[in-house]
Amino acid sequence: MTSTITDSPAGMQAFERTTSRWGRLTMLAGLIISLAGPLYVALFMDVGVTVAHIVTAYTAVAATFLVFAVVEPVTYFPILGQAAMYQAFMIGNISNKLLPAAICAQSRIDAKPGSKQGDLAAVMGICGAAIVHLTSLLVFVGIFGTWLLSAIPESVTEVARMYILPAIVGAVLVQAIASVNQLRPTLISLAAAVVVVFAVIPAVPALTHFGTALGVVATVLVSWFARKRAC
Amino acid sequence: MSSTPAAAAASGASTDIAAVANSPILWIFALGVFAVIFVQTAIYMKAARTAGTSVGLDNRDLTRALRSGAISSVGPSLAVVIVAIALLALFGTPAVLVRIGLIGSVSTEVASATIASGALGADLGGPDYTQTVYAVAFIAMSLSGGAWMLATLLLTPIMKRGGNKLAEVNPAAMALIPGAALLGAFSTLTVAELPKSGLGAITVAVSTFVMAGLLFAAKKLNAGWLKEWALGISIIVALTFAYFAHTATVA
Repeated sequence: MTSTITDSPAGMQAFERTTSRWGRLTMLAGLIISLAGPLYVALFMDVGVTVAHIVTAYTAVAATFLVFAVVEPVTYFPILGQAAMYQAFMIGNISNKLLPAAICAQSRIDAKPGSKQGDLAAVMGICGAAIVHLTSLLVFVGIFGTWLLSAIPESVTEVARMYILPAIVGAVLVQAIASVNQLRPTLISLAAAVVVVFAVIPAVPALTHFGTALGVVATVLVSWFARKRAC
Repeated sequence: MSSTPAAAAASGASTDIAAVANSPILWIFALGVFAVIFVQTAIYMKAARTAGTSVGLDNRDLTRALRSGAISSVGPSLAVVIVAIALLALFGTPAVLVRIGLIGSVSTEVASATIASGALGADLGGPDYTQTVYAVAFIAMSLSGGAWMLATLLLTPIMKRGGNKLAEVNPAAMALIPGAALLGAFSTLTVAELPKSGLGAITVAVSTFVMAGLLFAAKKLNAGWLKEWALGISIIVALTFAYFAHTATVA
């Protein structure tokens, strides 16, 4: 199996068409249904919600999060590609589950991120992750959730909440380094991350939530200007 | 907007959240979102299998990719489940399934709900967390999460065109950007965990070394299956370590 970047064959063009049409339609459906639930509660369940309540509460939330709704899709697009974008931003849990699954799938069949093979591997990996995730949510939260709530010791919940991200990101970084397999961008990304986390954010705390985006932009730009040129 | 949502006998003044939050109609909408994702997954799998042969990937490769994604997401999915269960009392099962389990993520959604409740002068889960406050928090979370989807729907086609143009003008850039972006994202996500807590930093190190060891072994032994399990094993080992280290230091 090769992982070269080639001109788009007809099969891939059909894939792009199918996934962009159905990806958008399913995401739009997901958006509408996910808003329908809370709107139903507000409009028909006599819970005393007024338009003023909603405006006040949403304005406060949007002031914090609206900008990330734009920054995150832009940050992850180069990694995910068009097809996987419509999966990832509907299924959620991107950095802690879907991207690791996509990278693991690419690494399994030695496909490079950004190549056609890499795109298909990522989509299949995310499909596998989606199936596991939906099933485990339905069974363990939907059906047994209330019972499990009393069965799981508090210490387990606390450790899962505090340490799941550290437990995931280190391993995924190693997998990403092995899968991209280019020394310069790897060293540049590590240097950029150290500068962003230990110098830029402490100096400008307002950028705290922009760390990942800054790391991505810095790595891409520096890697580009420091690339090996075929003179 | 009233600053005393608990005013006598007003509708929604009850603090019996479950009565509203677990209503059958909300279950139907929650299962509707699940159904949409299942349909999307089925369409995508079929499309990928059809396209595979044109780029030299046979069905076995694609099944391996699918299985790798499934196995590596067991750990993260169970972690999401455990955290989601802890929030059932606050939001009810349907809202937890959709907001925490799917579309959003724990930290974003809880932060949104906290901010929304605060804007109404109530504490999330506190004595004045009434049905009204729950409903408003649920709407605010959903609108906020909807903004991500809307931005994705609007921006993806634009970025796709930009990417195509860049690939024409400058193929070298498109060969470099995805890998560099991936490294930039996970380097930053990883380094950002280091200063948060000492044990967190050690957990990152454990996860890193276990994965490095497993990838090395998979290469030496030519064991492709090990790559499928590598992420799952790394997460379990790192979390088990964190559990014992955490309970040992706290107790």
